[in-house]
Amino acid sequence: MGPVVSVKTYMFTFLALLALTLSTVLIGFLNLGWGSMFVAVLIALGKAILIACFFMHALLEKKIVKLVIAGSILWFLILVTLTAGDYITRGWVAFGGK
Amino acid sequence: MSSALSSTAQKLMLREQYGTPEQQRETVTLGMWIFLATEVMFFGGLFMAFAVYRMRFPQGFDEGSADMSIVLGSINTAVLIASSFAMALAIHSAATGKQYRSVWLLLTTAFLGVAFLAIKFTEYYQHYEAHKVPGIWFETSKPEAGAMQLFYVFYFAMTGLHALHMTIGITLVIIYALRAAAGSFDSEYHTPLEALGLYWHFVDIVWVFLFAIFYISGLHT
Repeated sequence: MGPVVSVKTYMFTFLALLALTLSTVLIGFLNLGWGSMFVAVLIALGKAILIACFFMHALLEKKIVKLVIAGSILWFLILVTLTAGDYITRGWVAFGGK
Repeated sequence: MSSALSSTAQKLMLREQYGTPEQQRETVTLGMWIFLATEVMFFGGLFMAFAVYRMRFPQGFDEGSADMSIVLGSINTAVLIASSFAMALAIHSAATGKQYRSVWLLLTTAFLGVAFLAIKFTEYYQHYEAHKVPGIWFETSKPEAGAMQLFYVFYFAMTGLHALHMTIGITLVIIYALRAAAGSFDSEYHTPLEALGLYWHFVDIVWVFLFAIFYISGLHT
């Protein structure tokens, strides 16, 4: 059988996720310009980490599972870096005041 | 091995290619995580495309985002988080030998999944009523109509793909609830439930990001 996490941990994770959702909406009403999307995605990243670590108990799995998770993040970052590098250097998207 | 284990669970417990139940569980878990890694690539491409066009047409995309119902979107996020919570508890119940509770929690998970889709399709209907179907029936008084349509293309494609994943997930959760009710799982053997849980939580993570990119940036306008 797999790792057993306490019900209390699941409860705290659930409440933390609801609190983060509420804060995403409240911060969204502020006029932060481009920062609005940035903060929303940053909070989403925090929520994703909570779900992966506690609901999916990624932290308790073997090294090879962690390697697969790290690999998927790395590959996604390769996609982001190369694509963004291309579009930004062509001046096709507004970035950094260009 | 538990003596209370049903014959079905005994049959399913250890397939012949594995040395131990633990090895079988690790293989299944690793397989599911590798599948989820391919799903990261699948959704990742769409997120990247969205990011590029969002940077190219920030105003039009904010105008599109301003049309979204933050109330329905927030409720749906809470519903999906609650379904993930129910799924985590269902697996916990199976692992601690509470079979009936596990079945009910799985059915709760499926019910919340259906509620999510119902709210999502209510939103789709509202977009249809507001003539916001890109390419076919799109009307707006706002200046950046072209970019706004592009926003809606991403919105329907990405939330639609997510809804497809939800539909597959709900079907599997119902099937596994029936299997749990038939005594296929117990505290020793519930690996399929764990694998299903990983999929369900992953689909939840995808929605968390969809909510962040589609619903928030138009709020202040």
